Amino acid sequence: MGLIKQLKTKYRTLAIVGMAKNAGKTTALNSLLEEAFDEGLTLAVTSTGRDGESTDVVSGGDKPKVYLFTDTIVSVPEKLYDLAETGLEILQRTEYRTAVGNVLICRVADSGYVQIAGPGSVREHQKLCEDMLDYGVDMVLIDGAIDRKSIAAPETSDAIILATGAVISRSLKVVVEETVHIVSLYQSPTLEDEEAIAALAKERREGFCLALIDDENQLDVMPVRTSLGAGALLDEAIGEHTKYVYIDGALTESVIAGIHPKKFQTTTFVLPDPTRIFIGATKWQQLLKKGFRIRVLRNIKVAAVTVNPFSPSGYAFDPAGLKQSIEEALDGIPVFDVRMGGFESYE
Amino acid sequence: MMSHQNTTATSQVDITRVKPYGDTLNDGMVQMSFTLPVPAGEEAAEAARILAKKMGLDEPSVVYQRDLGIGYSYFIVYGKCQHTVDYSSIKVTKVEGDVMDRLECEKFIEENIKRTVTMVGASTGTDAHTVGIDAIMNMKGFNGHFGLERYQGINAINMGSQVPNEELIARAIEEKADAILVSQTVTQKDVHIANLTNMVELCEAEGVRDKILLLCGGPRISHELAQELGFDAGFGTDSYAENVASYVLTELVERKRV
Repeated sequence: MGLIKQLKTKYRTLAIVGMAKNAGKTTALNSLLEEAFDEGLTLAVTSTGRDGESTDVVSGGDKPKVYLFTDTIVSVPEKLYDLAETGLEILQRTEYRTAVGNVLICRVADSGYVQIAGPGSVREHQKLCEDMLDYGVDMVLIDGAIDRKSIAAPETSDAIILATGAVISRSLKVVVEETVHIVSLYQSPTLEDEEAIAALAKERREGFCLALIDDENQLDVMPVRTSLGAGALLDEAIGEHTKYVYIDGALTESVIAGIHPKKFQTTTFVLPDPTRIFIGATKWQQLLKKGFRIRVLRNIKVAAVTVNPFSPSGYAFDPAGLKQSIEEALDGIPVFDVRMGGFESYE
Repeated sequence: MMSHQNTTATSQVDITRVKPYGDTLNDGMVQMSFTLPVPAGEEAAEAARILAKKMGLDEPSVVYQRDLGIGYSYFIVYGKCQHTVDYSSIKVTKVEGDVMDRLECEKFIEENIKRTVTMVGASTGTDAHTVGIDAIMNMKGFNGHFGLERYQGINAINMGSQVPNEELIARAIEEKADAILVSQTVTQKDVHIANLTNMVELCEAEGVRDKILLLCGGPRISHELAQELGFDAGFGTDSYAENVASYVLTELVERKRV
């Protein structure tokens, strides 16, 4: 049984997220589309950037086009509608505005190449997925853009496929390290403390970005509009009874830089989901060694990882070697080299 | 067209086969300049000529060369381009909507928005060039077009250059900004791409992506690139404050954020 059929039984929306540009997102998308067609599934497809144009807007190089089969549901902004190389039946004109016109939801009337793009914000993508599911498709695929990962957030995607490859670095070791970093962030442990969750849920309705929870589960909302740059303030606020620091925002180095590392021993940082973490692999390892701990309200299911052994800069890894190295580093997550046999033969 | 090739110069432009103009229509003349990592001299000039030939230029000639020191030299080469472009088949996506001038923008704010519109801008990341953001935001503007600071009803905050993305977002949140303007002048090795996507991702994480309009601008920025990067709009060269203001004001009304 192919991967897509397995995924379909578990997930309604699946995002393809790239570690970098040219990591192989569109190739993975095309392979999934083909497999879905072979299995007789009907899919909906959208993109956080733009897909299917033959020339890359960043590098000017060639880019794989996207071939959609008859009856696929697809999001196409008004200005890209004319560029489709096949017939599209417009089902709905949405209110989602993009740089290239409002998003149309279309049905592919005849198999062919289509340029795909979706709304700008993740929240609108979430709504678009719901709209598309209403047309009775088996699953929605969201193709990510460049290295944008916010679409992986569990509110939008039930699971993700992570595309990684040689483009990240000339060193195989670095490619593996960076990939493992993202996968392990996405699989961060969830917060299991029921009382703390309840305290948060009560206050979350009000909307705030930074709060402390003490060992008696009392919530203290901090009077700031953003956690960005709040490091020094946090250091002052975290006391010996502070059990959790909850951040409904981005976790960057500036947020924790001002906090004394000793406080990492007694306080755990809590985030809504792992897409909020903006700290690199090396720095993250250093933090963990100092005792830094993270919990998330919801984590991200990594359904599969795809590897692309070729870099557009002209170097390549041994395909089997790259796949094996990633497989060994990611215990239990299926790894595919899509060009070398697609998602077939997945048990 | 071939029949009167050697008679007089063609005066009728065939828009399905456009090629460069030098002295006469369709002569294909191109001038280009580049640097080679070899010392100036006859060998270097020949190298430049061969290179131009490989680029598809007919009858390339090196009209200027100059030694740049440390074993580099600079060339200006003329040649005839052999390729044509079908102009009639070109489709480019542009920023939608009419461009209002400053006074029309001010009137639009007064009539349709009825409050001060705040825009925070900066040249972000490692980029030290303020030329782009200053041209759009500073009072005196650029090329006879006043900047956003001059607009009644617009609170324009220019944070300058080398501003980290998170500082720009933090300021925009503090000021309850309607739009963030990001300028990227330096684009070597595509550094602007990762910096711009990081901006979008941080806005998503901070929960402000659908509250604040995200605009980017710079010599290598287009509307299509903006879509790929996740921005609401992108402005290339030949954009002025009124282009940015018109877009922001119209979108605020369209998106019911007045």
